[in-house]
Amino acid sequence: MTEVSLLSLVKSYGKSIALKGISLSVGHGEFVSLLGPSGCGKSTTLKCIAGFEDISDGKILFDNTDISRRLPEQRDIGMVFQSYALFPHMTVAQNLAFGLEMRRVPKSEIATRVARAMEMVQLTPYAERFPKALSGGQQQRVALARALVIEPAILLLDEPLANLDAKLRDEMRGFIRDLQKRVGITTIYVTHDQGEAMTMSDRVVVMFDGEIAQAAPPEEVYNHPASERVARFVGNANILDLAVTGKDAAGSDLALPGGGALRVDSPAPWANGRLRVMARPEQIALTDPGAGHLGGEISKRYFSGGHVEYHVDTQCGPLVVLGPTTQTVAEGQTVALAFDPARLWPIPDPKGPAQ
Amino acid sequence: MRLATPLLTFIRVSVYVFLLAPIVIVVLASLNAGNFLTFPPQGLSLRWFWTFLQNDVFIDAIIYSAVLALCATAVSLVIGTMAALYFVRHATREAEVVRVGMLLPLILPEILTAIALLFFFYEIGIGTEHQIALFTGHVLMTLPFVFLNVTTSLQGRDESVELAARTLGASRYTAFRRVTLPLIAPGLATGGIFAFIISFDTFGISFILKGAGSAPLPIQLYDYLRFNFTPEAAAVSTVSILLTLVLVTVSDLVFGRE
Ligand SMILES: Nc1ncnc2c1ncn2[C@@H]1O[C@H](COP(=O)(O)OP(=O)(O)OP(=O)(O)O)[C@@H](O)[C@H]1O
Ligand SMILES: [Mg+2]
Repeated sequence: MTEVSLLSLVKSYGKSIALKGISLSVGHGEFVSLLGPSGCGKSTTLKCIAGFEDISDGKILFDNTDISRRLPEQRDIGMVFQSYALFPHMTVAQNLAFGLEMRRVPKSEIATRVARAMEMVQLTPYAERFPKALSGGQQQRVALARALVIEPAILLLDEPLANLDAKLRDEMRGFIRDLQKRVGITTIYVTHDQGEAMTMSDRVVVMFDGEIAQAAPPEEVYNHPASERVARFVGNANILDLAVTGKDAAGSDLALPGGGALRVDSPAPWANGRLRVMARPEQIALTDPGAGHLGGEISKRYFSGGHVEYHVDTQCGPLVVLGPTTQTVAEGQTVALAFDPARLWPIPDPKGPAQ
Repeated sequence: MRLATPLLTFIRVSVYVFLLAPIVIVVLASLNAGNFLTFPPQGLSLRWFWTFLQNDVFIDAIIYSAVLALCATAVSLVIGTMAALYFVRHATREAEVVRVGMLLPLILPEILTAIALLFFFYEIGIGTEHQIALFTGHVLMTLPFVFLNVTTSLQGRDESVELAARTLGASRYTAFRRVTLPLIAPGLATGGIFAFIISFDTFGISFILKGAGSAPLPIQLYDYLRFNFTPEAAAVSTVSILLTLVLVTVSDLVFGRE
């Protein structure tokens, strides 16, 4: 088990800067996801850690040893690629044996370790098949086993599930997570799928434009996003821009259009005297008109199996609410929205700490 | 559309006739029992093949051509593969320059390449001595074929396969040998065979750049035809056609599937 530290990592390609000083520490056996939109630098971060790209500035430490000048083959990493990158001219067993041969592991030991790895990913019957003759999910498992059989210090995965269909993806999520826990390997997982990052990770690192916007456990990122951009990227976010009517040491009083009032645990309004608060769709309840905090009218209703999604026009703009399927509210109906003050999240002022 | 079909068939047949007729005529002429290179042949016989086999000039020329073609192919394979690797992995202006440079011998008339090389080698004071000019010419003529074939076999290949090998502990060289090389082997083989045939057959380059002493087969044949007009020349051509045919067939059988 190894600890990975990135210290002010900078990577530039000519004039364009892909990573603008990334600092991140991944603990022993921790599963960290890099989450962000396309082009934000997730893969670049991984390539720097793997040694495929020279870094422009900063340091990469494995257990306090600076490895940023080492060649990829000297870094002791296992990597799973989006394309799986299996060797097409080798059988499954030969693919798995490759890394061990490179490490000059004795032949007999190679055989047992390959067999064990194949069992681990339930591929024993396919040992003599070529990658071409495997399904996407099976190829994925071969790639995983090939990366793990060498017992690397850290495991890197770059969107490993992106090429699988939805059902298989859900299955593989659990599979990879369980395997990682069992092996206890320090893992960095790149994805642009927030659901994937949430369900699998100990910690989610949200990246935008070559910078880390927030690094925190999934619940924290989801419920207490560091910025509006994080809030909107990680799941559905309703942002209400509200006037602050009073404040004390414990929190702030907020006024809603239409006379409603709320109190949140925020020490200070933004510089403009207002506060932007976030409410997730499932944290808002639909009630009868007159009750609740904010009136509105249902503009759209989507049934999606487990719940119903309502789009509600309010004086705070269009909001999205998730309701239970037991409640029937029709499009065009006038309703009121009730917020749970304890779960409303005041978004930190980007112009400085809210003091 | 239906009307066009007979016309298309006619064109297709004409093209084949146009391409294959000279070859057929040469082969038939080589079987001529008469004393002169005439068509149709006057009786069938293998006597001119026998004559040819006993003619040291032609045997030497074939060996010389084969050795020259082998060496040129070997050098082309190395340079062409390196250029192909560079071109495929870099989407830069420099890579485009490399591509055009590699294909230039194919685009330019052979005679231009030959004359340019001739001037160059006289300019640097070597001339056509030591067969260096001839060899360089042959490498240039064969390079585009290696480059094109290897480029094709590299394109569409997943580049991360080699990176995967690196993370598994392979050095740059080992990754190339164990992973990239087997994957481009068909391209190398096809490119190599093409290169060999081109070098074996090429005339203009050899004609202009050959030094004193031994000469490649096409030159020897040309010299011979200036003073003799026997079916022996056709026999030599037939052997060289057969050789080409065998190489192409073998490459198609072995690597045609890929
Ligand atoms: N070899 C390169 N040369 C120039 N720019 C590059 C190179 N590789 C990446 N970039 C740039 O660096 C930025 C980050 O790219 P990166 O591949 O890390 O994105 P990503 O977060 O992995 O996106 P995606 O989700 O699409 O894979 C992008 O703006 C990209 O254009
Ligand atoms: Mg990427």
